[in-house]
Amino acid sequence: MMENRSFDHMLGGLSLVMENGQKKYPGVNGLTGNESNPDTNNNPVKVNPNAKFQSQLDPDPDHHFPGVDMQIFNGAPQGPGRARSMKGFVKDYFTQTNNVNKSHNIMSYFTPDKLPVLTTLATQFALFNGWFSSIPGPTICNRAFAHYGTSFGQVGMDIFDILAPIMSSYERMLAAGKTAKIYYYDQQSSTMEIVNLLKNQPQIFATYDQFISDCAANTLPQYSFIEPCYNDHEGPGGGEILASDQHPDHNVQAGEKFIASIYNAIHGNPVVWDSTALLVVYDEHGGIYDHVAPPDCTPDDCQANATATNTGAPFNFDYLGVRVPAILISPYIAKGTIVPGTEAGAGARIFEHASIPATVTNFFLNGDAKRTKREAAASTFLDILGDDARQENDLPFFTLGGH
Amino acid sequence: MTSIVIKVPEPEKGSFNHNRPAGKLLQSQTLHLREALLKYLKDIADVLAIDPKSLKTERDVSTYIQKATAILHTQARKPSERPVK
Repeated sequence: MMENRSFDHMLGGLSLVMENGQKKYPGVNGLTGNESNPDTNNNPVKVNPNAKFQSQLDPDPDHHFPGVDMQIFNGAPQGPGRARSMKGFVKDYFTQTNNVNKSHNIMSYFTPDKLPVLTTLATQFALFNGWFSSIPGPTICNRAFAHYGTSFGQVGMDIFDILAPIMSSYERMLAAGKTAKIYYYDQQSSTMEIVNLLKNQPQIFATYDQFISDCAANTLPQYSFIEPCYNDHEGPGGGEILASDQHPDHNVQAGEKFIASIYNAIHGNPVVWDSTALLVVYDEHGGIYDHVAPPDCTPDDCQANATATNTGAPFNFDYLGVRVPAILISPYIAKGTIVPGTEAGAGARIFEHASIPATVTNFFLNGDAKRTKREAAASTFLDILGDDARQENDLPFFTLGGH
Repeated sequence: MTSIVIKVPEPEKGSFNHNRPAGKLLQSQTLHLREALLKYLKDIADVLAIDPKSLKTERDVSTYIQKATAILHTQARKPSERPVK
C-alpha cells in the first residue's frame, strides 16, 4: 500500500493517450484534459500534465477530514443533499501554500511515460476505475480499513483502540492456523500500521529484505501486506535510502522502483508467480485532484462527531473518500482488464480498503470472522482472475537502475 | 524469456534529503510508537511489581516465568523471524 496520490494524478493521463486517431485505453475513467477547479480568484484552473517527481507538492497538500471535505464539496454548507462537485481542490491547497500560482499544482497529473511501472502494470493487468479510499480523510484511519475493515470510528491520525470482537486480518489468519505477515521496509522506516499489532503480534512482522528472500525461497505466508519506506535515511553501510512511499514530497520514482522490485520478486519465482495475486493500491489521495465523486457506501457501525470531523457536522461513514490508483496483478488476469467504476452506472463495481480484509477473509477463511457491516458489504476482487495463465512472453519485466 | 522489458529510471541524484522536515504522518508515527512503548513499560512494570519471594506454588512460579519470558522474547525478537506455521 502506497501513500497519498489520486487516481487522476497518477493514471488519469492514460485516457489522453491516442493511437491511430483513437483513444488507446478507452475503458480507463481518466481525464479529458478539460477538468478544472476554480482558484481563490475564481479563475478556472485546468488539469495539467506537469506533475513532477518531487518538489512540486511542498507544502504537503491537506488531506485531513475538513480539507478533504472542502475538496469534495467546495465549501457547500453542511446538510443533506450537498453536491460532491470535486471543485474545491485548488482553493484548499491555497490554504497550505498561500500562493495562488502554487495552489494550481494540485491539478497536475503525470503523463504515462513518466510512470513506466505503474502505467505498465495498469495496462497489462487489471485496473480498477472505482477503488476509493475508505474515508475522506488522512492515512491512519484509511489504513485501518485495510487491516480491520473499519477505523473504529476514527477519521484522523490518532491511535485508536481495537474494539472487540473485530480482529485484524492477520490475527484472523493466525487464529485459524493460517499464515500472514506485514513486511515493513526496515527498522528505520518501521510500520505505519497498527502499533497495537507491533506489541501483540510481533511475529507477524518482517522486513522488505525478508520479503525478497521469502519470494525466492517460496516461503511467503498465505497473506502478505507490504509497506514502502516512509522516510529518507542512511542505510546500514551509510548509503542513501530514499523514501519509496510516494507521499509528497518524497520522490515518486523511488516508489516506482519499489513497486517494480516487488513485482520482480514475485515474478522471479515461477511457483510464487503462479500462486500469487498482487494488489498495488494507495491509502488515500493526499489532497490531490481527482474528478470522480466518491459514491455512497454501506455505513460503518460507528459515527464520528462534529468535534472529531472538525467540519461542524458528524460523519456517518456513509460515503467513501477520494479515488485512488489500484491495480491487481496475476498471470491469471487478461491483459488490459478494466474493472468498471461509477462511470458504468448500474454496472459499477466499487471497491475500498475494506475490500482487502473482506477478500482475505472470504478466500482463506470462508468468510468466517466477526466483521463490521461495512466490511461484510465490501466488494471482493479475486473473481477478476480467470482460469488460464498468460504466457511468459506476454508479461512485463522491469529492469532497475536504467536512465 | 519475457518480451516486454521496461527500464525503470533511477531517481535524480540529490533526491535524498534526510534533513527534510518530518511531515504530520511521520510525526504521528513516532507518537504511535511511543504509545506502544508505554504499553511495554506497563507490562514490564506489572511483572517487576511482583516479588519473586511471594511466589509459593509451581502455578505461581510458572505464571511469573511465562510473563517474564514473553516480554524478553518479544524484546529480543528480530523482525525477520518466520511465523510459527
